[in-house]
Amino acid sequence: MYMLHRFERPLWFLGSVLVALGFIGIWQIVASSGLVSNVFLPGPDRTFRALLAGLESGVLTGKFFSTVQHMFYGWFIASLIGISLGAIIGTSRMAQVYVAPSLELLRPLPASALVPVAIAFLGLSTSMVLFIIGFGALWPMLLSTIHGFTSVEPRLNEVSRILRLTKMQYIFKIALPNAMPDILAGMRLSLTVALILAVVGEMLSGQDGLGQWILASGRMFRSPDLFAGVILLGALGYMSATLLTWFEQWVLRWRNEG
Amino acid sequence: MPSVDQASEAMTAKGARGHGEVIISFENLSLSFGSKLILDNINLDVARGEFLCVIGPSGCGKTTMLRLLAGLLTPSAGQILYQGLPVSGPRPDVAVLFQDYVKALLPWRTVFGNVSLALEAAQVPRKLRRDKIMAHLELVGLADHAEKYPTQLSGGMQQRLQIARCLAQDPEVLLMDEPFGALDAMTRQALQDEMQELASVSGCTIFFVTHDLEEAVYLGDRVIGLLPHPGRVGREFEVNISRPRDQLTTPEKPEFLQLRHELYSFIKLVEHG
Ligand SMILES: Nc1ncnc2c1ncn2[C@@H]1O[C@H](COP(=O)(O)OP(=O)(O)O)[C@@H](O)[C@H]1O
Ligand SMILES: [Mg+2]
Repeated sequence: MYMLHRFERPLWFLGSVLVALGFIGIWQIVASSGLVSNVFLPGPDRTFRALLAGLESGVLTGKFFSTVQHMFYGWFIASLIGISLGAIIGTSRMAQVYVAPSLELLRPLPASALVPVAIAFLGLSTSMVLFIIGFGALWPMLLSTIHGFTSVEPRLNEVSRILRLTKMQYIFKIALPNAMPDILAGMRLSLTVALILAVVGEMLSGQDGLGQWILASGRMFRSPDLFAGVILLGALGYMSATLLTWFEQWVLRWRNEG
Repeated sequence: MPSVDQASEAMTAKGARGHGEVIISFENLSLSFGSKLILDNINLDVARGEFLCVIGPSGCGKTTMLRLLAGLLTPSAGQILYQGLPVSGPRPDVAVLFQDYVKALLPWRTVFGNVSLALEAAQVPRKLRRDKIMAHLELVGLADHAEKYPTQLSGGMQQRLQIARCLAQDPEVLLMDEPFGALDAMTRQALQDEMQELASVSGCTIFFVTHDLEEAVYLGDRVIGLLPHPGRVGREFEVNISRPRDQLTTPEKPEFLQLRHELYSFIKLVEHG
């Protein structure tokens, strides 16, 4: 990764703020010019007023945390299943031979294709939303974990044999740390997938959350509310990615030394 | 040290050198990969505490021999006896030092953690580990770098770290596969001397594969010259040069020069028919 120098960092930050302000400025100009009806495109002024009102009343805050919950739980379930299943498949030749082909068959299925099935079995419930998120977010986790577990340096496998590590020691001391960079990359991908599917799931099921809020605002032509919801979604995506980056830098600190 | 068992005592008569009892014995050992014969009927005894060097042209089966001894490979015919019993797999008291130290170390563990791995594998309780680890790091001169990661070390230091991890196994036998081949001349000489010192202090039996003939004479009590295609024992060279040996004066001794000459002739003959 390209490392920013000490002096570049504040400059880079300032630059990105300026660009963001520029976009907001253009947005305001377009909205005020009347090129697009302000029924569909509210200016930043009205959007931020709607955002503040929503946060103050607690309505939007509630929606925000509902979505956070859906996204996080779905992602968490996917990570748990993805990492453990990936570890098993990655360390067992039997599993690679017998299970991997079925996985290849399931993997290309878009999560949305499973929505009708999920609704039939789970109804328009939170479980259904979590199932959809979990299913979609599982694949990046699973595949990257398998890759990480099967790409152990052959020499390290020999060292493990020489030291006579038990299977458990091998998994936790060699294979898992070796897979960590891949697992984290998978987590990043599945986090994005989880956010998208949380919104889709809420829209389809009507479960409380930003997705449902955005859909409802759109239907009622409350475009400032709709845009406020979108901004919160963007903020959520940005914050979760940042948290994951911190976590990643801490876990992979051995890579950044020297 | 384990007591002398009867099997190895019986072996002694078969031709161990000098004072030592036989610790390792290759008996009619052959190995094939598929239909290709790699090692053909090897018979060789190694005495306890001996520093044995193995030389031979590239591809003649030195590494294969070491891997068989380590229990990483199974013979196609014959066997290797270790303290009288057939080798059937890796053993806690047999350590292996690989040439490619970069690949053999755990990049995600510190210097300390890398040595710790050997103790964790041996189920040494956590409380006892720290002192042992630091003692081994002290021995190879890495005590001040305990918290660094392998990538922060020079090649010589990384190989020292691997040596420390091997020593942490508290081995009876140390198998080394061209351990210093990738290092620059100065570092290599320093590590040769450290190895000589460690060997005499620990009393380990050492099976040392190298393609550097001078290194073999400098370090070994005995040098085995292998013939290629298939790999066989060609000649044995006794190294009767007093210890401790010295990088400056030892290579000037007539015994050293004589042996060096013989080894070169042997290799030349092997390589050019
Ligand atoms: N896993 C393997 N499968 C097939 N042939 C091998 C394998 N490992 C080594 N060989 C062959 O065995 C011979 C001896 O190899 P090796 O022991 O590595 O030689 P050296 O260490 O003396 O250079 C070589 O001809 C090599 O190609
Ligand atoms: Mg070799």
